[in-house]
Amino acid sequence: MMDFLTQNPTYVVLATALIIWAGIAWYITRIERRLRTLEQSIGSKR
Amino acid sequence: MKYALMLGGVGLGLLLGFLPSLRAPKPRWWIVLTLLSVTVTVIAAILPPIGGTLTDVVMASRADSTKIVPFYCVVVDDSTLRDARIANLDVALEGGGVRDLAGKHIIVHVTRGHSDRIVRSNGRSAVTSIDPVITLPYIMGLEERARIIFFHVPMSWIALCAYMISMIFGIRYLRSRNVDLDAMSAAAASLGTLYCVLATVTGAVWAKFNWGSFWNWDPRESSILVLLLIYAAYFLLRNSIADPERRARLSSVYSIVAFVTVPFLMFVLPRLLPGLHPGSADDSNAGPLLSPKSDAINPTKQVLFALSLFTFTLVYFWLTNLRYRMTIAERTIKENQA
Repeated sequence: MMDFLTQNPTYVVLATALIIWAGIAWYITRIERRLRTLEQSIGSKR
Repeated sequence: MKYALMLGGVGLGLLLGFLPSLRAPKPRWWIVLTLLSVTVTVIAAILPPIGGTLTDVVMASRADSTKIVPFYCVVVDDSTLRDARIANLDVALEGGGVRDLAGKHIIVHVTRGHSDRIVRSNGRSAVTSIDPVITLPYIMGLEERARIIFFHVPMSWIALCAYMISMIFGIRYLRSRNVDLDAMSAAAASLGTLYCVLATVTGAVWAKFNWGSFWNWDPRESSILVLLLIYAAYFLLRNSIADPERRARLSSVYSIVAFVTVPFLMFVLPRLLPGLHPGSADDSNAGPLLSPKSDAINPTKQVLFALSLFTFTLVYFWLTNLRYRMTIAERTIKENQA
């Protein structure tokens, strides 16, 4: 496995980029979900 | 074709970005499309292998006779390869080890042999890809670093779009005095600045490996720094005024004045002065993307670049939408508490 990754660093770069993107995507979707909830509660209080 | 693809990428991104509106929450299908689009772009930008022609192998060997080049070819037999991009160009292979791959397209790491029609490899272990679906061209001096084009350039171009949207909402605020429009102007400017910072950082990392240091005071680097300082002053201005209406009025005027400098600093000034960045005054063309030469950028890269433009435009609109809605929600809560 280590030999394969050493000979094909592209996969290491790809995995790193996808992990970073997964983290960012999770964070943004979490903000989106919480903001929708907040907007609904603000709307219902009006 | 190249310009149509680039305009198509940005145009489709802008069209979808304005759906259902800039200010309303984005529908779920829109969010899923954006998430998928980024994932596909990241994979499509990083995964395709780079494969050069025999010309690339020969040219690279003139600069460095030990230079290893990924050669994209078809295996004829154990000692003969055929260039996959140049028709009917057979090359003798020293090192062999590809007998079982006869008839297949491969990318094999080679050096030039003792003539221009002979290449040398380390046998089977030098084969890095078999029948790749798509390949990217080998660019001498750039090689794997050429992939930066899919991230660095869209960031810079979308920052320009963001600053333009900020200016448009600034004008709309001055006409209607609706503070929601000022909130959108500020959200657009903040995301534009984020994209501008990302363009600068990705460019600096690339410069470290190609030009020798992170910062070289190239005209392009200097102009983007000036642009960042101009917009840093915009946020300082906003944060220094407590009265919301005065803040909105002054920052709208500032965003209009600041945008006047954007095309000049991004497109005009770096092309008037000699520098290291592609498209500088002493470059032979206007850079791979804007050059009218048909071979300035490979067709596969054109498609991937258009996809990248589309993707990062969608991400921009999503983040701007979130930023705007957060400002409105914060203001509404404060008003309810007062």
